Amino acid sequence: MNRTQPQSIPADAPPRRLAPESLGLRWLGLRRFAFALVLVAAGMAGGQEPRENQFLQDRGPFSSQAGADVGDAFEIIETAEESRIEGLSEADRGRGRKSASGTRVAVPESLQRLLKRGGVPTSLQQLQELEQQQQRVARIASACTVSVRIGPAQGCGVIITDTGFIVTAAHVAMRPGKTAFVTLSNGRQVTATTLGMNRRVDAGLIRINPGQNAGEPWPHASLGSSEDLVPGMWCIALGHPGGYDSRRGSVIRVGRLLEVRPDVIKTDCALIGGDSGGPLFNIAGELIAVHSRIGNDVADNLHVPIDHYDYAWDRMAAGKSWGFLPNFKPTLGVTGNQSDEVARIIDVKEGSPAEQGGLLPEDVVEQFGEKMISDFNALKDAVADTMPGERVPIWVKRGATRVRVIVEIGRDG
Amino acid sequence: MIVRSGNRTEARAASLVALCLVGAWAIPRPAAAQSTSDWLHHAARQTSIAARDSGAMMRLVRPLSESVQRSVVQVFCGGRIASLGTVVAADGYVITKRSELSSDPITVRLPNGEKVAARIGAVRRSNDLALLKIEGDASKWGIEPVNLNGTDAATGGFLVSPGRNGYTVGFGVVGAAARRVDHDGRLGVRFYDTPTGPAMVRGVFPQSGAFDAGLQERDQILKINGNKMLGSHAAIMTLRELYPGEVVRLTIMRGEDMLELDAMMSDERLLQETKNDAKVNGPRNVRLSGFDSVIQHDTVLSPNQCGGPVLDSSGNLVGINIARAGRVVSYALPVSLVAAEVVSMLDESRQ
Repeated sequence: MNRTQPQSIPADAPPRRLAPESLGLRWLGLRRFAFALVLVAAGMAGGQEPRENQFLQDRGPFSSQAGADVGDAFEIIETAEESRIEGLSEADRGRGRKSASGTRVAVPESLQRLLKRGGVPTSLQQLQELEQQQQRVARIASACTVSVRIGPAQGCGVIITDTGFIVTAAHVAMRPGKTAFVTLSNGRQVTATTLGMNRRVDAGLIRINPGQNAGEPWPHASLGSSEDLVPGMWCIALGHPGGYDSRRGSVIRVGRLLEVRPDVIKTDCALIGGDSGGPLFNIAGELIAVHSRIGNDVADNLHVPIDHYDYAWDRMAAGKSWGFLPNFKPTLGVTGNQSDEVARIIDVKEGSPAEQGGLLPEDVVEQFGEKMISDFNALKDAVADTMPGERVPIWVKRGATRVRVIVEIGRDG
Repeated sequence: MIVRSGNRTEARAASLVALCLVGAWAIPRPAAAQSTSDWLHHAARQTSIAARDSGAMMRLVRPLSESVQRSVVQVFCGGRIASLGTVVAADGYVITKRSELSSDPITVRLPNGEKVAARIGAVRRSNDLALLKIEGDASKWGIEPVNLNGTDAATGGFLVSPGRNGYTVGFGVVGAAARRVDHDGRLGVRFYDTPTGPAMVRGVFPQSGAFDAGLQERDQILKINGNKMLGSHAAIMTLRELYPGEVVRLTIMRGEDMLELDAMMSDERLLQETKNDAKVNGPRNVRLSGFDSVIQHDTVLSPNQCGGPVLDSSGNLVGINIARAGRVVSYALPVSLVAAEVVSMLDESRQ
């Protein structure tokens, strides 16, 4: 039983407003190191106690606030009378087969109330019907749930088109243009490339590189909408908790929606490191959200509502990245002159990541990670494309010599 | 029982970095299972009415728990709640989770509320099972064995974990099919490489069983569980045979003194954990790995709620809860495995 942290959910929190778990939230991605390297990394960071919150991808101490910038005006939209799932074709009713026609599963009349409004089954018999329904969804949905590895960091994703677009969490995709290794449910590995991401809500997009499926469509999830969701609805989470395990495969969890807001959904589907980017389905087999982060309590599991991928599809598909979660703004801690012709550091903030990494005033930044830096604006952009806790090698010109330092990106506002 | 508890030395991060590169390590939190405060938290935990484990959901599945209420007991060891137990024979035999039992006296709270002494009749290390014999006249207790001709759990299916008196301790879903889960039992030391002589301790990992037992740098391991050890490799290999939660007796030479220490083995994976990982995982059993076959499910259990039956949504026995292993993981031994173990344990105990 996980503890409910005092800061987690104040009893007097206004309804429909996510509690300020600001001290308790973590990303769910996971960096899998050889055992020795975990401690070596910790030692490199100075052997200090980990701070209160941590990025599970070994990007260092980290904390978040869930959708704190969301206005209070949000109203939950009641489920429309007409269900999207009506008019299903027979072809959608397959049991457990890998389907290139999506994951949508017919919902019997007896479960329509649970589908649309959630709630407690009226009898054990209805509980068993719900059970059969979630088992059907889980069987089909596991085929499109994938493991995503970028460098040593591992998370999840879900294929949503037969052409191989994968939705995931922004912090799993990291930044546009990176190569990702995707492991399908049958263990097959394919390569993919990260596209864009809306870091404000932690939504990211990846695409499987073309030409890897002999022209066949990829198994993919049917898209639902996060517009009609209400607390109490049943949901099915898939993912690779603790990282990909070929002997185990993806793990199913079933829970209910606890809170629904425009930028974040909270459920009691228990998640942990490695689950980030994995899918959350309703009992009709429609994708409604993507796993993002957790708090200390086992019932604090946060997901990105699926509609955010729809709103920003064009920008994400074009490889644009923007925004940051409140309190997750990546910072370096240096000032410079934007009109300068090079990225010359004028001042290094005391106690900043830059100072701790060993950057000095008058250093001229020439390369930041993989990016060549032409001027201070380029440096600003490069920092914005990192994530707090990420360790970035920086090459600077210091007098006549070229120096390489490693900075662990900090976080701010 | 700790024979001798030495001074705890402050382990430095720097030495950890060096030490971890090779060697036999154990874990940071040994008997971390349950403290009083965990229980207070458990009792105080509020579930939303929208939650899967809401009161209304628990009421819905109560008939399933009640169907086995004469088959579930609560197991106490040394006055503390150790686990639940499942009645497997009408003449007073109960199976439970072995690693939660110490050498302290064992009692069980029967379905009728009576508290009766029990003794360990047989154990199975490989799956952490203990068979308890309840002392006294079983015909008076109104106990009833569970039906061990149960069914296999289906992935994605609901599971109900009944407690004593028809109460439901947990509700969850089968997350992954039954599979073997290996263990990495570690003492929490690194040795100098000594091919022939006694292994000499080069470092002790903080919060490991070795640390709690007071093992110090430069201690020489003469014997492990009474067996003479020559060479660091032999010591490492002997220790790796032991399961997390098992207590190992070390005979050591410290300077001129010969000492005996008892240390608890723990799982290596927990050593990798940051404080935050430990926090999100919550209280777990010390023995949370090393099972021939387990069903993974997402029922939120306390570490001392293992040992009881797990039912499917039709009330069939599908297994026995055997570990709370993390935030998203509880393990249950499948009923087929349990049935086979119970037969041989009953034979052994009745002889």
